[in-house]
This record gives sequence, C-alpha cells and structure tokens, in this order.
Amino acid sequence: MKSLPPFAPKLLAAAVALALPVGAAWADIKIGFNVPSTGFAAADGKSALDGAKLAVAEANAKGGIAGEKLELVVYDDQASPKEAVPAVTKMIEKDKVVVGVSGSYSGSTRAAASIFQKAQVPYVVAYAIHPDITLAGDYMFRVSAMGEVQGRGGAKLVQNLGKKNVVVITVKNDFGQSLAAGFKEGASELSLKIINEYEYGMADRQFGPLVSKVKADNPEVIYASGYYFNAGPLVSQLRAAGVTVPIIGQEGYDSEKFVDIAGPASEGTLITTSLDRDSDSTVTQTFLANFRKATGVGADMVAASSYTATSVAIEGLRKTGGKGGEALKNALASGTYDTPIGKLAFNDLHEVQKNLQVQIVKDKAFHRHSVISDAVLLAPPSKPK
Amino acid sequence: MLFIELIAQGLVQGSIYALIALGLTLVYGLLRILHVAHAALFTLGAYVGVLVCNASGSLAVAFVCAAVVAGIAGVLMYRLAYQPLLSQPPFVALIASIGLYIAAEEAFRIVFGAQGLSFTQPSLQGQVTLGGLQFKQAELMVMIGTVAIIAVLAWLQSRTRVGVACQATVSDPQMAESFGISLRQVRDINFFIGSALAGFAGVWVALLNNLVEPTMGSVPSYKALAIIVLGGLGSVPGTLAAALVLGVVEAFGTIYLGQLLDRNAIAFAFLIAVLMVRPQGLFARR
Amino acid sequence: MNYEITLLTTMAISVIFALSLNLITGFCGQISLGHAAFQGVGAYAAAMLAKAGWPFFATLPVAMLLAGALGVVVGMASLRVREDFLAITTMGVVFLFVGVVRQQDWLGGELGLSAIPDHGLGKTGFMGVTLLACVAVALLSIHIRRTWMGRVFNGIAEDEDTMRVLGIDVPRYKLAAFAIGTALAGLSGAFYAYHLQFIGAENFGFIESITVLSMVVFGGIGSVAWVLIAAALLSALPAWFQVIGDYKLLVYGGLLFVMMRFSPGGMAALARRLFNPMATREGKS
Repeated sequence: MKSLPPFAPKLLAAAVALALPVGAAWADIKIGFNVPSTGFAAADGKSALDGAKLAVAEANAKGGIAGEKLELVVYDDQASPKEAVPAVTKMIEKDKVVVGVSGSYSGSTRAAASIFQKAQVPYVVAYAIHPDITLAGDYMFRVSAMGEVQGRGGAKLVQNLGKKNVVVITVKNDFGQSLAAGFKEGASELSLKIINEYEYGMADRQFGPLVSKVKADNPEVIYASGYYFNAGPLVSQLRAAGVTVPIIGQEGYDSEKFVDIAGPASEGTLITTSLDRDSDSTVTQTFLANFRKATGVGADMVAASSYTATSVAIEGLRKTGGKGGEALKNALASGTYDTPIGKLAFNDLHEVQKNLQVQIVKDKAFHRHSVISDAVLLAPPSKPK
Repeated sequence: MLFIELIAQGLVQGSIYALIALGLTLVYGLLRILHVAHAALFTLGAYVGVLVCNASGSLAVAFVCAAVVAGIAGVLMYRLAYQPLLSQPPFVALIASIGLYIAAEEAFRIVFGAQGLSFTQPSLQGQVTLGGLQFKQAELMVMIGTVAIIAVLAWLQSRTRVGVACQATVSDPQMAESFGISLRQVRDINFFIGSALAGFAGVWVALLNNLVEPTMGSVPSYKALAIIVLGGLGSVPGTLAAALVLGVVEAFGTIYLGQLLDRNAIAFAFLIAVLMVRPQGLFARR
Repeated sequence: MNYEITLLTTMAISVIFALSLNLITGFCGQISLGHAAFQGVGAYAAAMLAKAGWPFFATLPVAMLLAGALGVVVGMASLRVREDFLAITTMGVVFLFVGVVRQQDWLGGELGLSAIPDHGLGKTGFMGVTLLACVAVALLSIHIRRTWMGRVFNGIAEDEDTMRVLGIDVPRYKLAAFAIGTALAGLSGAFYAYHLQFIGAENFGFIESITVLSMVVFGGIGSVAWVLIAAALLSALPAWFQVIGDYKLLVYGGLLFVMMRFSPGGMAALARRLFNPMATREGKS
C-alpha cells in the first residue's frame, strides 16, 4: 500500500481552508443577541438593539479583541418564548456564538436561558427581571436589579420623602408584579400603609376610572409601575384630575418619550432606576453623549442596560482572548465593571448589587434626585442552599 | 360621587368605542363581513391627525384630514380587498382582513417608528367642571361629538334618499338594484363614512393619550367586534347603546374586579353573559 | 443537529395544533377564534403535573381530557349562537382564559410556570414522539372524515338546517367536533410545555388563536394534507425569515391577504388548479 506524501495533510488542510467561505477564515468573535424587533415589544427592542450595537461599535473602534473584530449576531424573538428557542439554538449551533446577550423580555429570556446553560455558553441578561433566569444555572448573568429589589427601594424612597399612605398601581405583567411584591415587602418592613392596590393591563392607555378611584382614596404618595406608554398617559391623567401628590415610577418610565407624552404633567415625577443622567462618572456621560450622536435620541434605561450587558460580555472576552466556555464564565463572574448603570460586580447567583438611583423630572428632563444605598434592603437574592 | 364619576368615565370610553364600532356595524350590516382591518383606519387617522396638527398647528384641519384620508383608505380597502371576496364564505374575508391589519400595523411601525408619536402642543387639555365632575375638554367634546354624529347618521338613514337606499341594500340587494339604486355607490358611501368615523376617533384618542402607536388599533379592533355583536349586528342605535354600556361596565369592572380579571376579560365576560341570556344581542332589530 | 431537531419539534407541535382546529373549523364549519385557550389548558395541565412529579406520558391524557372538557363547555355555548356570533364568543373564551390564568398565583400568575421538568426522552426522542403524534393526528383526521361522523360534520358545515330536518342530532355532532378538536389542541399544549419548559398565560391568547386559524385557512379549510403543510411552513417562517428580520410580520400579513384574495380555498385550491385544472371542485385533499 502506497503511503501518502508527507505534505499531503498540509495540502489537504490548505484545500479545505480555501474551500470555506472567506469570512470563516478570519473568524469574527460572535456575540449572540436576542431582541424583540417586531411585535408588541418593538419599542423596547429598538432601544436595546441600539444600545448593544453601540457597545460593539465602540469596542471595534478600539481594535476589537486580540486583533479580531466583534460581531453582533442579532435575532428577533418577538418577545415570545416560542420564537426565542429556535433563534437561540441556531445562534449557538450554527453561528457558534461564544457568548449571548439578552435584549429581550423575561418570557423569551427565560426560555433561552436553559438552552444557553445546557450548551455552557455564558448568557448576560440586560433588563429581563424574572427571578428564575439566574436560577437556570451558573452560566447566567444579570446586570440590572431585579424587580423585587427595586420595589423595596421604592418603599425606602417613600420613607425618605416622609410619607406613609400609599396607593399602589401595578401593570399586569412579570415586571409590575415583581415590583409590587418588592414594594409591599419593603412597605411592611418600614411600616408604610398601603391604602389600596390596583392593576391595569399593559395595553391600557386610558385610566379614567382608576384615576377617579385613586383621587377618592386620597393617598400621600402613589407608587405606579408601567412603561413609558402607560406611565405617560397615567401621570398626565392623574394630574389633569387634580391629583397633586408625588408619583413614584421605576425604570419603565425611564425614557424621553415619557416626558414627550405627559408634557408639563411629567414635572416632579420621581423614578427609581439605574441610569443617573447627572452622574459624574465619565463612563455614563460618554455613553449618553455617544448614544445621542449615534441615534439622534436620548438613551433610555433599556438602551443603557443592553449597552452594559454587551460591554460586560466584551470585557469578559477581553480577559479570555475571545474564548468562550468555562473560561469566559469564570472571567465574567470574577470581574468588576465600570458601566453607565453603575459599578457592577456579581454575587454568587450572578446578580448585581448596586445603589438605586432616584431621578426626578425637572425642566423636561430626568435629573438626579437622590441615591438609595441601603445594602441590606437592596441585597439581591443569592444562590439557594 | 365616585359612582357618578365612574359612569362619566365609562361614557367617555364608550363614546370612543361607539365611533369605532359604528363603522364596523355599517360594514357588517351591509356585507356580513367582520372587517377587522377597520382598526387600521383608526390608527391611520391618529397618525395623520398628529402629523398634520404638529405641522400646521390647527386641530380642526387635522381632524378633517384624518377623516378624509381614513375614509378614502376605507373605500380602497373595500374595492381591493372585500369586493372580490363577496361570493366567498365569510371567514375568507375575515382572514384577509386580519392579514391586512397585521401588514398595516407593521407598515406603521416601519414608517413611523415603534416608539410612537405625540402632539408637540396638545390642545383641549384644559379642565372643565360640570356638576362637580372634572373632565378634560377633550373628554367632554368626544362625548358630545359622538352623540351628535350618531344622531345625524340615524336621521340620515331614515329621512334621506341616500339613507333609505342604504337600508334597502341591506334588506334586499337585488330588489334595491332593480329600483335603480347603485349598490356600488351605497357601499362606497358606507365604507367612506364608517372609515372616516374611525379615523376621527383615532385623532380623539391621540388627543386623550397624547400617544400614537402602531399597535393602538389592536384593542379597539376586537372590542368593536364584541360591541357590534352585543348591540345586534347592523343596528346603529344598538351599537351606540352597546358601546356606552360596555364602557360603563368596563369602568366599574376594572376597579372592582381588577384583581380577578383584566379589562378585556371583563368586557368579554360581559359579552358572553349577555349572549347566553339573549343570543341575538341586546338590541337586535329582527 | 440540535437546531434542526428543535425546529422540527416546533413544526410538529404547530401541525398538531392546526389539524386540531381543522377538525372543528374545517370539518364542521364552526369558526373558532379562541383555539389557543385549549392549547393553554393542556400546557398548564401538563406543566403542573410535571412539576408535581408525574412522568411525561402520564400527563398527556390528563391534558387532553381537561382541554376536551373545556371544549365541550364551549361547544355547548356554541349551540346557543350561530356563525359570526360563535366567532366572537370563542374570542371571548380566549380572553377570559388569559385574563383568569394570569391572576392565579398557583398557576404562576404573571411570571408563568418555569423550570418545567425534562421529559427524559432526550431531544431526538422527544422529536420522535411529536412527529409520531403528528402523523397519528393526521391519520385520525382522515379517518374521521371518511366515516359517517365525517359526513355529518360536512353536512353541518354545508347546511345545518337541512341536517336538522333530516333528523340528525346536530348538537351532538357539534359537541363531538369540539371535544375531539380541543382535546387534540390540549395534546399540542402539553408538548409545547415540555418543549419550551416555560409557559405564560399570554402565550395562549388571541394572537396565537388568529395565527393557528390563519394556518388552517391558508392551507385550505378541511384539507388535512395542505393544512399540515401550511402549518409546517408558516410555523418555521420566522426562523427562515430572520434574513428579512424587520419586515417579517409585514410579509406574513401580506401573504395571508394575498392568499385569501387570489385563492380563498388556500393552498389546497391552488394545488387543485395547478395539478388538476379540469376536475370539478371536490371536498377532498
């Protein structure tokens, strides 16, 4: 039997390399990104995508990682678990992403989380707040505060304002529900009195009956959850009806559109969030400026958290030289990050502990009001025993 | 006091539903088609209204433009989509309508953005006090406007030749045609009026919420379907009554049953309850 | 391979769901705008039982039973109303389902049910089961159509009054259609729960009901083969259409409209015209 010439293996390798499409030879480092670009959550999807794209563009402008460019592989999941599952599977299997970032809502992220965990690909979650996401496994990371934590912070804010009687208005979805749960927990610890609780659907824009009832309740402060498209009309209608007490919202309000919609009624609205528009941090101010330059609009909370999640993923990749897997997981877990939404570090459940920013609408924009830094109150959950 | 306030709020909401449902009932009465895409005309009117008002500064001009554009679009929908499907079973038109609505919603998102549009200087936001109740000017006007429009329509339907012709084409198209009534013309008119009303309603809602979004038509689309069934298909006064009743039921339901069911579930629970007792609807004609 | 397996499983589940609606709408002419509620019942039943420790195959019959039971209740409501009213009533059912479920903390409330246990069959095994179920449902549909029940269903769809005059117990057959169709929807729901391992009330709402109805109509109401194909294609569409990303839903809506406008009988009618232009219109697939 004749043996093959010694250079045959090298020749074969060269032939194979030439046969592959050109791109593959200079393999970019791929970051998978699932986001609701279409469907009911498209508004948030656009913000999230813009935030993530900015992070990647900035990193590439600085030379990428180890000389290789970063590529954001984007999949539209319509904020639906059913769409997220095949999209994420494809991301991992076909596109061979080394890390995933979620720019989507809790339902789709939760479904995607188990897939990333099984494949041992790290998954950094931007703003989905479902508690079970990080419980899916140690390859999960979340950069924003969970709903319950924010809710408790909201209760502390009520106490800081010197108020006691609260009406709680909750948007009917996981975001609203977890905020309300946290708020009630904090309220009972701080001896606040919840006069009444109401709920409304995410699609609601007209709150006439609710406003009338709240007015009749006569609270000292209102704790209302919702997105800008709920909060804008809600706050506007409350003020129009003559309700003058402080209204506390959360990061769902955190968008310029809130001020656009509610107009003068938005003045004085307080929100608990992670983005401090008046921050001294260069990272934050640079981000805000660059975002406006890139998109023409101001950044909102969703954009900021997506930018942060992507940046965190990139930082981890920097440490591992572009490799994924367990090395990346460890790198991410042990890192500290200076981000637009604060200095972050992950606890054993890969949740973040950070201060809660309180912003207030003044002169048609969000400005710093105060900071809540009660470490015990704001402690995120840690790994169950 | 709260009780009265809730009723008033319900009537405001009901008036908006009525404006939208009216167009739907006119179409259904005429063609037996569930015109889901009707809601797209509502959204179209809202977008046109906001854009024209922001550009020209005049709300009145915005209203007119919105109604006209929506009306024309409605007639186009009829000519291009429904007319060819008249001989098919009703679900064909229903699915075609759904496809049209989905495409329209997406078109709005792609063209105008997902974030939505607002008035730069919303008018009619001032407060009006009436008998101890506080209303936004816009709320009061939409109620008055709706009642006025419906009164005019009902009068037109029974007193003018055009109106009687409309009724005839519904009861017996062939007979009507043999009397020289142009079916085409009657249908065009019906679609135009119904669609213009939807566009008109769109501007009102834009004014009340100060937000126009691509998806704003979804909820009204199926609420309107429920209303026309509740009111007795094809009946104008029935639709108005059903719309107002539903508005009030929702107002009370969201406050007192809010922990149990959400707003849409309340509306449909009410609908199902009524249909079980009176399968032909609350105010059926026949 | 995982991706292809996941995709095929998703398609199989959608096909079962569509075929189950085809039984009600296609064979019996009853338009349902709320079919997703029954899928939801099956999904929640399977999920709760799975979390309570039941083995995979044991949850399936319970899911089907509960869904079918609700189907009978809705079916009885359908007896009081006709045609377009029925469409709206079924729409009400799905809104009620979502509205009630999302308020129940024991069903997961707004957060839904997550960490649904594994079925223990492995990805390929599970795909195999769903594909087999898919084939079984298709065969069942064809069988029903060929038997006496199928002919009665057809008669009800064509002309309900004549059937009554002929002495046929129309209500009983309508109920039967609802029972079988909704039970099968429940089956697809159970598979759904195990496939995604996470369910929420809003996954079984009006939009999902419209989507599955569109699949049935797109394929051609009543035609088992073409509904199967349409469901398989349309459920995989978002995955294939990632390329046109932003325009996905626009194309989807446009497709629906164009199909209805130019071939109201769906793909089945198109196929007939293409392959058999001379034959007269028969109700066969």
